[in-house]
Amino acid sequence: MPGDLPAPIVNADSAPYWEGARNGKLLLQRCRDCGTLRFFPRYLCTACGSDHTEWAEASGRGTVHSFTIVHRAALPEFQARTPYVVALIDLEEGPRMMTNIVGDDALDVALGEAVTMAFEERGTEGAMVPQFRRGAGDV
Amino acid sequence: MARTSEIDATAPKHLQDKYAIAGIGETTYARGSGRTTRALACWAISNAIKDAGMTPADIDGMLSYSGNDSTFSPVIAGDLGIRPNFFMDVHGGGSSTEALIGIAIGVIEAGMCSAVVVFRAMNGYSEVRIGGTGARSAVPVSGDALHDRAYGWQSAGQRFSLTFMRHMYDYGTTPEQVAHVKVAHSKHASNNPKAYYKKRYTVDDVVNSRFICKPLHLLDCCVETDNATAVIVTRADRAKDTPHRAPLIRSVVGRCCKPRPEVHYQHGPISTVAGHYAKDILWRNAGVGPEDIDITGSYDAFTFTAMLQLEDYGFCKKGEGGGYVSSGIIELGGKRPNNTAGGHLCEGYTHGMNMVIENVRQLRGEVDDSCPAGPDGRKRHTHDYREGGCRAVKDPELTCNMGWATPGIGSALVMRRGD
Ligand SMILES: [Zn+2]
Repeated sequence: MPGDLPAPIVNADSAPYWEGARNGKLLLQRCRDCGTLRFFPRYLCTACGSDHTEWAEASGRGTVHSFTIVHRAALPEFQARTPYVVALIDLEEGPRMMTNIVGDDALDVALGEAVTMAFEERGTEGAMVPQFRRGAGDV
Repeated sequence: MARTSEIDATAPKHLQDKYAIAGIGETTYARGSGRTTRALACWAISNAIKDAGMTPADIDGMLSYSGNDSTFSPVIAGDLGIRPNFFMDVHGGGSSTEALIGIAIGVIEAGMCSAVVVFRAMNGYSEVRIGGTGARSAVPVSGDALHDRAYGWQSAGQRFSLTFMRHMYDYGTTPEQVAHVKVAHSKHASNNPKAYYKKRYTVDDVVNSRFICKPLHLLDCCVETDNATAVIVTRADRAKDTPHRAPLIRSVVGRCCKPRPEVHYQHGPISTVAGHYAKDILWRNAGVGPEDIDITGSYDAFTFTAMLQLEDYGFCKKGEGGGYVSSGIIELGGKRPNNTAGGHLCEGYTHGMNMVIENVRQLRGEVDDSCPAGPDGRKRHTHDYREGGCRAVKDPELTCNMGWATPGIGSALVMRRGD
């Protein structure tokens, strides 16, 4: 099923991010001038405007900032997955990212609880999309 | 370098009451109009021109908004015999009505034209569905969309629900409290012969309807309809020639943003929406405050959007929106009714324009309910709000519309009764 879901079409800003995901890493951008971490990938630092950027690996741990359980999908590819969880995760490192909560107990998700990164394969060429599952288990 | 500016955008108080809504026009609110957006636009604009006591030759400015689902101004101008000295067709949905009224004031003030029609024409049910199903969902997922659509996060309801859930978590807001928005708007719509849904609903009806995306039930979501709507903006002195007591514009805010509007959720708290920022421009330029407003028009794409804006524009304390909307205040007969025509939840979906039109009618004392007309042809409003009855508010002086694009982007408009 995940193979039918949207696979990344990479652009210049996000290419290293998706290359990292392919290798099982969640990469954030870090400003080389002020040290601010940012998500999602973009050209300029959101704190100081600098374009001096490096990539840093995130721990893959975080907490649920908010979520919704989708019962009616807009994208036809997702209809078979309903009900599914879309969540905002506060990463341990600071930035907030969107994801799905996956796993058998995903629908029991609650605000504020700990989650841990997982990956889901998309498409037919090994593309991986960062996902999260409930609990503070091993990444 | 400061990246999140705190600019004082207030200033042009000399424009208070200098501009007016000289005319309003609508089509029917339908599912399956059987007409093109071109035909719908002509229908609504013709009604607005007639309402203003004007002819097409009196209109020389045009503004419209759409999401590639409408017909552009020059085509409509040709059909109607308008020769624009100015036109612009912009991208956008909710929050555009108030923003474009502000732009109309600006271009008239700049001497570019003298009478601007703002219109929105859409087959929101039979062509491009607002809910994101159909044609809109078929766009390839690429670029930055990978960070949302890759996760099945696309429709308006999905996009906003993270804010709604967090508001419930932060402030203890309940689905039952917010369901009162549907209760109120359906009550109002039952007294509006042109509303698409005229049935009254209860809180139980709302919270027992099926989930679309938590916390939104089916009856928390607006209707999708086919329609066009239009308003005409002129200088107030010119609007004195119209057959109606044209409402005056006190203050307008256009697409005011939270920090990080591209992904507003990166800048907390996500349970606060753009109205928190817009209110400081709106009230200072209007010279009045929320306590002075008689009728609100808070955008109800969902029950929650109406509640969140009423709260962040200051009609109640932060976090008390659930209590405010469930107190009876927002119902006809209450202290400050919201969306007295039924809004997007019941009357029809226009991306905001029908809520401005309704407040114009209220301020003119010309609400089109089923109250009987007197010998002079004018309605004798009973102010009896029972089902099928009156929906006119008694002698309103000030209204406030609050448009919503996303939790991070909003517009607003304060109007007062004409002299
Ligand atoms: Zn920086």
